[in-house]
Amino acid sequence: MTHAASIQASPDGERRPGAIGDRHLRLVAIVLALIGLGVASYLTYVHYEDIRPVCGLGGDCIKVQSSEWSKLAGIPVAVLGLIGYAIILASLFVPGEEALIAGALTSLVGFGFSAYLTYRELFTIDAICPWCVASAIVMTLLAIVTTTRLLLSPSDQRGALPYVG
Amino acid sequence: MSSEPRQTRQQRREAARTARVEAERAQAAAVQRRRRLMTLGGVLAAAAIVVVVAIVVSGGGGGDKASDRPAAAQNASGAIPGQKESSEMLAGIPQQGIYLGKPDAPVRLVEFADLQCPICREYSLQALPQLVQDYVRTGKVRMEFRNLSFLGPDSVKAGRAAAAAAKQNKLWNFAHVLYFNQGEENSGYVTPQFIDRIDKAAGVDAAEADAFAKSAASQEPLGAANTLANQYGVNATPTILVGKRGGTLKAVDADATDVGAYKSAIDAALGQAAG
Repeated sequence: MTHAASIQASPDGERRPGAIGDRHLRLVAIVLALIGLGVASYLTYVHYEDIRPVCGLGGDCIKVQSSEWSKLAGIPVAVLGLIGYAIILASLFVPGEEALIAGALTSLVGFGFSAYLTYRELFTIDAICPWCVASAIVMTLLAIVTTTRLLLSPSDQRGALPYVG
Repeated sequence: MSSEPRQTRQQRREAARTARVEAERAQAAAVQRRRRLMTLGGVLAAAAIVVVVAIVVSGGGGGDKASDRPAAAQNASGAIPGQKESSEMLAGIPQQGIYLGKPDAPVRLVEFADLQCPICREYSLQALPQLVQDYVRTGKVRMEFRNLSFLGPDSVKAGRAAAAAAKQNKLWNFAHVLYFNQGEENSGYVTPQFIDRIDKAAGVDAAEADAFAKSAASQEPLGAANTLANQYGVNATPTILVGKRGGTLKAVDADATDVGAYKSAIDAALGQAAG
């Protein structure tokens, strides 16, 4: 049974199947946020240590990282990604609707900006950085998962109750 | 016999109660659904605003957007941006090809840069003038400009024109003026007209430079810079290497605008050269 099916199958009264679905979604989000955190940490590390990133699949990471879109208001986008993934990850361990909103908002912002950067890579910089594409994919999946949780998570997990997976 | 109507009434009451509970539940679910959709709408709107602001800020930021600059170079009726600054910075300092400063200076500074690279622009505009003033003008450092051209076709066009300027011992003027007028990466802004204006502002004979830039010889310095970059393990631009003359060069690990870090590295090399 897929997550979506388990959520739709929620009976009116008991939201148990929905609750299981949400728990699965949360676990998926944690794994995705950890992957994103790893990618962003690596890109931040190579940025500050001035190291040539491992850049397979015919990519050109240096070209992308030397471009004017590698920074936002003077801050490397790798650092912004790191902060974004950290916020998303933290939100997954905090109970309440505010945390769901914070997670969804951060990942939607990340998705939007990643889409813009990928567009710049393809059409302006004319080079692809596989790490950046990986981050964009992870952020897209996180946006889907966190938005789904915001819409469908059971009410009994939205209060300020201890929230352990 | 008398229990049957009572049971029916009870059943009816039960059914009514179930229907009421169902209706209340459905209403509550509808309210919750509406509330969640409104929350999602708010989150989407907030995310869209943040993304739009981020996109506006990105790519140079504020009033210093790269896309605004080439127009400045092409439309200016009088002096071209950077013309005055570069001639003031370099006045009276000997230039020979890719070199700036006296040949017998005790310390050597090698800059690996792409003329399209925005961080190289930051270094050139914010750190270089101070370093030239304090170290090159005083005969302590000789600088070397190694032009990489990996960012795209505009980098190659600018690089070949820079090689032509180097042939006239005007490379440092050319590069400095070009950085002032650097455009949006690979937007095709490095046109013959753009180069012509940069040449004139840098004091380069444009016709002679154009002829050289079109020749195969103008590719050679770009290839040599690339070979040297590989040799030194240069993997990003700008990379600044510093060392005493004839000694080993070491990359300076600093932000492009961190003049203090470059000064420290040069001072250390001067100390080694003296010792």
